[in-house]
Amino acid sequence: MIYLDHAAATPVSSRVLKAMTPYLTEQFFNPSAAYLPAKRVREAFDTAKGQIANFIGAKGNDLVITSGATEANALAFTSVKAEFSARGKLPTAIAPKILVLETEHSSVLENARRYGCETIRVDHTGLIDLTDLRAKLTDSVELVSVSLANNELGTIQPLAEIAELLRQTRLSRLQRGITTQLLLHSDASQGLALLELNVARLGVDLLTLNAAKVSGPKGVGALYVGHHVHLSPLVAGGGQERGLRAGTENVAGAIGFAAALEAVKGHTAAARKKYTRLVENLKSELSQAKAPPLFLGCPKHQLANFLPVSFPGLDAERLIYLLEEQGVCVSTGAACAASKGEPSHVLRAIGLSPAEIAGSLRLSLGVLNDEANVRAAGQLICAAVNAEAERLGYVR
Amino acid sequence: MSAKSPTVFLGMSGGVDSSVSAVLLKEQGYHVVGVYMKNWSKDLPGMKCPWAEDLADAKRVAVKLGLDFLVFDFEKEYKAKVVDYMLSEFRAGRTPNPDIMCNAEIKFKLFLEESLKRGADFIATGHYAGSQDGRLLLSCDANKDQTYFLYRISRAAVKKSLFPLAQLKKPEVKRLADAAGLANAHKKESMGVCFVGDVGMKDFLREYIAPQPGEIRELETDRVLGFHDGAVFYTLGQRHGLYLGGGLPYYVVKKDLKKNLVYVSKDLNSQALWTSELSLENLFFRSPSSLPRSGAIFVRLRHRAPLLAARFEFTDRAKGLGKVTFPAPVKRPASGQSAVFYTGTAPGSVCLGGGILV
Repeated sequence: MIYLDHAAATPVSSRVLKAMTPYLTEQFFNPSAAYLPAKRVREAFDTAKGQIANFIGAKGNDLVITSGATEANALAFTSVKAEFSARGKLPTAIAPKILVLETEHSSVLENARRYGCETIRVDHTGLIDLTDLRAKLTDSVELVSVSLANNELGTIQPLAEIAELLRQTRLSRLQRGITTQLLLHSDASQGLALLELNVARLGVDLLTLNAAKVSGPKGVGALYVGHHVHLSPLVAGGGQERGLRAGTENVAGAIGFAAALEAVKGHTAAARKKYTRLVENLKSELSQAKAPPLFLGCPKHQLANFLPVSFPGLDAERLIYLLEEQGVCVSTGAACAASKGEPSHVLRAIGLSPAEIAGSLRLSLGVLNDEANVRAAGQLICAAVNAEAERLGYVR
Repeated sequence: MSAKSPTVFLGMSGGVDSSVSAVLLKEQGYHVVGVYMKNWSKDLPGMKCPWAEDLADAKRVAVKLGLDFLVFDFEKEYKAKVVDYMLSEFRAGRTPNPDIMCNAEIKFKLFLEESLKRGADFIATGHYAGSQDGRLLLSCDANKDQTYFLYRISRAAVKKSLFPLAQLKKPEVKRLADAAGLANAHKKESMGVCFVGDVGMKDFLREYIAPQPGEIRELETDRVLGFHDGAVFYTLGQRHGLYLGGGLPYYVVKKDLKKNLVYVSKDLNSQALWTSELSLENLFFRSPSSLPRSGAIFVRLRHRAPLLAARFEFTDRAKGLGKVTFPAPVKRPASGQSAVFYTGTAPGSVCLGGGILV
């Protein structure tokens, strides 16, 4: 099998599994218990949190371990001071408190919508339209959420530039006597293995991390929370994680996440180089197809392992089924959107035509790829594209 | 593909039966176009409609076999012709069979019309049924035969329809799916009403019909045994979901919609549960001339139920009313269900038509 869908899931590495195993078996103790063996589990959990935090230039106490990126995103939005009615509904005609990029993952869009949000446009490469952000950054806005890298296109957003704009806006607000908070949240689920991240340099107040995309376990994520940010817990209970996330800590999960990050730490530059080369190879393979490929996204600001591509006029789903027969796993847009059978909102946002959207594949490389299997995959994708082009009577 | 081979639009549900039908039709040299009919896609609270998965399963098989594949969107029509009919029947205290309506109004009418319009010579489905010159015949697999659900489709529709599984039994179909390497060979069979999926009809109805508490009474004594949340949700013969405590089970034997009462009995021999005569309305004859003059027919009262010898006679031919009488009492199906008539019990026997229980 050749797997080209690392943006959807990655295999847990043996190193990660080895680190986790003792905490699923003999070190099973509840970290909140009073006896010494439990204290040691608590220490291991705290150490793991420290390692995860260290990866982004933060301290263990700045993190809340969650069940994944979706929960971390949902928790991040609780920083907004929304006045819900007794029935849990928002008052009508509320000024937008949250701005999100229109190409955000549904875990950002759907959670932001609960508070009243407006979307910021992107250009045809998926990059944020900063003019649109400036125009929509009214005094009611409390939170701006922009993913570090888009999960369908791999487009990397200029977070530091956005942070600087928010800093100026905060200043201007204070000068006008307005004290409404203005926070920057970023979902960094994609790209952890490829980018050097530092919360201070990025200028974010909230940062979502995801273990499942870096060969860590599924169901584990983290939210970095700046010192000045006040959140409300989504889950009430025993007061774990400084009261922000009740429930016995996922010790093995946090330890697995930490081990996964330790494995990529210091190798990001090398990984970028490797995947840039593999993606280039793949691109030239695909360019041989009888239906011309349209490479999507922003080559200058793109995660090195991403290759979003469209074969306009073809049906990408048919390509997936043809390729799975050949042992190649690829996807159309995000797995969760694709399973609902709806056209990708991301590809619509960058202005693709319906035929271009229908013919779009997301190829994402990772630990399971090397030069040989990427070349083989490229040839098999070409063959599938050619078969479909012939079926439809297309001639290049 | 030869330009001369006839074009068949095959309804593909993503299940093993229609998938194997695709394999067979292709082997027989037809130009096969796979079609998924999107009839219902709404997720209701607590119910995940599996349509997207079914569509993906159907498409995967079509692609594997190299077939063109289309999606026909019949949601609006399905809601109007099947769901609304079903709801109004339930509201009237009856227990309709939406699958029968779906076949008559959607699959063998709209799907047929749309397919012919788009260039099909025939349509096909993965039903276990046989056909010959517009006649509908009992399939080879007596256990899986689905003609009960097809009795109201028109003779003209049958003439334009192919049933590739007519000569096969389910285990052979599964073997063929395995042999063809179809990923859905072992997919769990969908049971009951297609769009209701794994949840019960009652949960579905609750989304549309407001609950209304009422009494559950014992038929023989009129004693109040418990309470229900709406007589319309209960059906004759039902014994689950009554919450009347342990011991011998109670059966629903009667409903009084006006007073919102459900009557139950422990007596399996209760007169209310058994009858040797059933009144029918809305009769539909596939070919009236083929009805034996004596009225001697075989009747099926539920899908997969045995074919019972019976006599049919019209009570008011003009109004489409009639009755069937049985030599011995039969368990009475709920009002709104269908009685379907056949010439015999062997595979290839003709389905004559049927009617809906008053």
